Amino acid sequence: MKIIVAIKQVPERDAQIRVDAAAHWIDEVGLQWALNESDAYALEEALQLKEKHGGEVIVLTAGPERVGPTIREALAKGADRAIHVDCGDLGARDALGVARLLAAAARPEAADLLLTGLQSDDLGQGQTGVIVAELLGLPHATLILHVEKTDNGLSVKRELEEGWFQQIELPTPAVLTVQSGGSKLRYATLMGIKRAKMKEVRTVTAAELGVDAAPVAVLERVALPQKQKSTQILPGSPKEAAAALVEKLKFEARVL
Amino acid sequence: MFAFHLQLAEPPAFSLLEKVLVAALTLTSGSLFWRRFRVVLGKILQSKKDPGFSIFPLGRRVADFLWEVVFQVKVIRQRPLPGLAHAAVFWGFCAFALVTLNHFAVGMGFGFLSPEGWFGQFYFDVAAAFALACALGILALFVRRFLVRPGWLGKKLSYESGFIAFLIFVLMATYLAGFFVAEAGAGARALWWAHTLALLTFLPIIPHTKHLHLVLSPATVFLSRGGFSAIPPLAGDEDFGLVSGQDLTRLVTLQAYSCVECGRCTEHCPAANTGKLLNPKEVILNLRSYLNEFGPASEKPLVESLAAPEVPFQCTTCGACEYQCPVGIEHLPILVGLRRGAVNTGEWDDEYGSKLFLGLERGSNPLGIPAAERDKFIQKAGLPFFDGTQEYCLWLGCMGAYDPKGREIVTDLARVLDHLGVTYGVLRKEKCTGDAARRLGNDLVFQQLAEANLEAMAQSEVKKVLSICPHCVRTMRQDWKEFGAPPEAEHHSEFLARVADRLPKQPKEETIVYHDPCYLGRYRDVYEEPRTVVRAAGQLVEAPRSHERSFCCGAGGGLAFLGEETGERVSKVRTAELVATGAATIGTACPFCNSMFRDALAEQGEGAPQLLDIAQLTARALPQSPAS
Amino acid sequence: MSGIWVVLEEREGRIGRISLEAVAAAQLLGAQTGQPVNAAVLGAQTGALAAEAAALPLARVVRIEHGLLGAYTADGFVLALQQLIAMESPTHLVFPHTYQVRDYAPALAARLGQVLIGDVTAIGEGPVFTRQLMQGRLAGAYRHAGGGPCFVSVQAGAFRADGLGAGSAEVSLFTPAIEATQIRTRPGERFRASAQTVDLGSAPMIVSVGRGIKDAANLPMAQELATALGAELAASRPICDAGWLPMERQVGSSGQTVSPKLYVAIGISGAIQHLVGIKGSQCIVAINKDPDAPIFEAADYGIVGDLFEVVPALTEAVKAGKG
Repeated sequence: MKIIVAIKQVPERDAQIRVDAAAHWIDEVGLQWALNESDAYALEEALQLKEKHGGEVIVLTAGPERVGPTIREALAKGADRAIHVDCGDLGARDALGVARLLAAAARPEAADLLLTGLQSDDLGQGQTGVIVAELLGLPHATLILHVEKTDNGLSVKRELEEGWFQQIELPTPAVLTVQSGGSKLRYATLMGIKRAKMKEVRTVTAAELGVDAAPVAVLERVALPQKQKSTQILPGSPKEAAAALVEKLKFEARVL
Repeated sequence: MFAFHLQLAEPPAFSLLEKVLVAALTLTSGSLFWRRFRVVLGKILQSKKDPGFSIFPLGRRVADFLWEVVFQVKVIRQRPLPGLAHAAVFWGFCAFALVTLNHFAVGMGFGFLSPEGWFGQFYFDVAAAFALACALGILALFVRRFLVRPGWLGKKLSYESGFIAFLIFVLMATYLAGFFVAEAGAGARALWWAHTLALLTFLPIIPHTKHLHLVLSPATVFLSRGGFSAIPPLAGDEDFGLVSGQDLTRLVTLQAYSCVECGRCTEHCPAANTGKLLNPKEVILNLRSYLNEFGPASEKPLVESLAAPEVPFQCTTCGACEYQCPVGIEHLPILVGLRRGAVNTGEWDDEYGSKLFLGLERGSNPLGIPAAERDKFIQKAGLPFFDGTQEYCLWLGCMGAYDPKGREIVTDLARVLDHLGVTYGVLRKEKCTGDAARRLGNDLVFQQLAEANLEAMAQSEVKKVLSICPHCVRTMRQDWKEFGAPPEAEHHSEFLARVADRLPKQPKEETIVYHDPCYLGRYRDVYEEPRTVVRAAGQLVEAPRSHERSFCCGAGGGLAFLGEETGERVSKVRTAELVATGAATIGTACPFCNSMFRDALAEQGEGAPQLLDIAQLTARALPQSPAS
Repeated sequence: MSGIWVVLEEREGRIGRISLEAVAAAQLLGAQTGQPVNAAVLGAQTGALAAEAAALPLARVVRIEHGLLGAYTADGFVLALQQLIAMESPTHLVFPHTYQVRDYAPALAARLGQVLIGDVTAIGEGPVFTRQLMQGRLAGAYRHAGGGPCFVSVQAGAFRADGLGAGSAEVSLFTPAIEATQIRTRPGERFRASAQTVDLGSAPMIVSVGRGIKDAANLPMAQELATALGAELAASRPICDAGWLPMERQVGSSGQTVSPKLYVAIGISGAIQHLVGIKGSQCIVAINKDPDAPIFEAADYGIVGDLFEVVPALTEAVKAGKG
């Protein structure tokens, strides 16, 4: 199986977020970066498929030069080679714009499967994989926890709401977006990093792919939420406090 | 005829036939010794060179040699009675060197020490005193091994040890008997032959048994890496730690062959004592068997021969084994080396371990709690940020930043600093020092963390670091050195001891049992400073096992992050020991120890002693701040 | 172009609450743009759902019915809605941000050269759509640029549906053209994970008890709350050490690491070993009689009080809230 895994480099989970001067995006100076979590699960799923059925795992990512270490991390974990779409204006593109870049880079590879994470930890749109499928004219499934190869294509386990699951069958080539937590991730190793140095990373630019940046959904400005999360102590009698809590859980925390 | 003489009897001149026989037997014995010894020597020399090894500075090596080998200090101090017996045997052997040389010279007809000359008579008499001590010593050791039979010597009775003891006893007895027989008679001749045969039998046995330590351990002690748990750097692109025989270095091989099987390592090992599979003595002996069977050039994975894959990961890295070892074996670099071999190649598959590493890869702290919680704590506690103007960078570490109890310790330390007018600040963002990654053998993550921290500290112009965590301090001071020049890092016990007399006096009635954290005590030799702090707060009680014999809390070596342990919990054993002292308070100096004891004390229910860090013991004497 | 269209989603045979909230959001848009608000229901049989929708304050309700829409597929829904859009040229399409919408709406939008502005939490003048970035640590304001319909999906609970008035919408039927060969995926039946083993790690709701519960005999009280919430019962280490609950229900550094939507900590003081296990929870509720218990630092909501009074009261409130 030839598998492309589209990954994204995102700010580290614990990064301190500051809004940039124009309030267009966060200040990236001094930020540290990491592989997007659900992309790591997509990569893991791809590596396990390769270990089972053979083939090749190609990581595909778009971003400026700083994505280098993230590509190497993916190669260190076992991907065979990488395609880096070099573009410094990722932030100015909407989900469709980014998906066009990835689709254009993926198309000539004619892979059997394209995997990506469910959503990115920074923008959290959860659309890129689905749009890439649409652009490539391929069937897709989202929120996938497990992928199995069948005689005719794939059988995948999809997560539904409220603890339900569903098995879906679809032909290859196909696009799947992978949910976090479906498999056990492998950690990066020194051996992997040393081996990764010898693997191929091909760089293409957005211009070479002929994809422009004009967005339809424009992120006009960003702001830090007014209040930091802090504990709300609910006063009153047990009965009053309990009623207030249920109200808060329903409409403020939105977990009920 | 059998009267005691102050003069040693010398046998009459030997016939040519006897001389030929002596020469032939000596040659045979010597070549039998060499036949085995050269194999051992070959395995040592075939092993990989030790990366980063230097014979200099020599001063430390000479001092270690005198202290541990010549004066037998460690042997005696850690097991006084058997230690003295051993020292008697050892010193007896030393004194005997000249006697033995002369003994053979006599056989060949040119003895150089005359029992009649003043020096000869003096020397033989002195040697006799040593011989007597040695004979008694070996007798005592024999009784201990075959009648007392302490558990750590192993279940199996070693008959070869018994035979060796017998030979040593014969050697001494035949020498001493020489003072009771008439000069140049048949008795002297018989004794001479008995002595010679015992010696020539002894010699070839040495390299085949643990008595190899007679020859090797002086070298092992002299050549040791030094420092405590000195984890060697990895060399080149193919070094991932101890994976196969090819990764064994000369020091490791030398150490494996030096093991005297005394079992002190296992006797003191928290894992071995709480029903885990890990048995440090077995690890070393299995390493020796691996070397015998496959040799240092083998590609066969070490872990299959040494232990089950999980065994090295049961080690708390408390270092009791390494500290105790009388022949200079450095267990921690070996156990951590095995972990490195498994982790750096991705062989180690552990749910908790993977989660820990993945979190650290993503820049999280080892506890995996969002950094925003640290920010909240700093704000709530009103801790100032470090801006380069303050004297100390107050390092929170994961426990100080996220553990509710660790936060109390930090806040109390800050109160002491405020009271003294010592300036300090905390960093806006901290990354893990990499202690857990280091001990668990993840060199990739450790290097990333060490480098990022060194850079951040240099940028913030941090000169002096103060921390409540012995793990952070050790890792900064020692382990970071591989990647740059760390700032001066100090544990709060050292700081508090220094300023103890500038703080308000406290009543001394309260009994406080102090627990030595491994990473402060054995790792850094800091024993007195925390005791000074405890004495200022109450009456110090010593635990049965304290100072360099302190028993681990169970958290070290990354084990705090690895989920439930098998067997009995180490923390439970240690807590029971501390509670049994009857002290009103348990004093700790490490937030990990503190959290382990807190958990174990929960089972004690009402009437359990209180649990306080030395910073809390100090801060309670301070006047309440106006705000509270 | 005219009209705002809400795509309603069925949940247990009725219109789901989040779909009603999408109607509320659409009405905000309607008030801003002066456009009428309409709704579509999709399925093989949509009569009941359409009847329910007709009673909402909507101008029109379209029943998009087709045998191939019986079981959800992205291909089927995209084809059907593409035809509705071609027919109606809406200015805005508003969706509930459900797993199902996330599966097909981005493809539908892309097919029309549009981008879904997803998981919207507020709609301001302009309209400007607010959504969370950086996992809730940053808020972003989005605007739709260029021509064509604007696609929006709304976060559950972000808009209040309880103020929706009543109405009587005109209901019509639309049968889209869908060929069986156009449906490329074959969805199977829904199933739940086998319930033999407790899987706290993936439980969406957890009620957890600590030493404050005092006695094993008090566990049923916590179990009742768990049942009312549809939650798993878990505990801190001392409870499992004591054998009151099996070890597999232990949450913390030596037990399970959990990441539920809701974690209710009852009588748990909050040692670090426990906090490490619950840090992934979306919302933490703490009930403890000690106001200084560290668990309150980690909690989103706290009730300081006697758990033997608070827990039964909470069980009642949860039951009342559901009914």
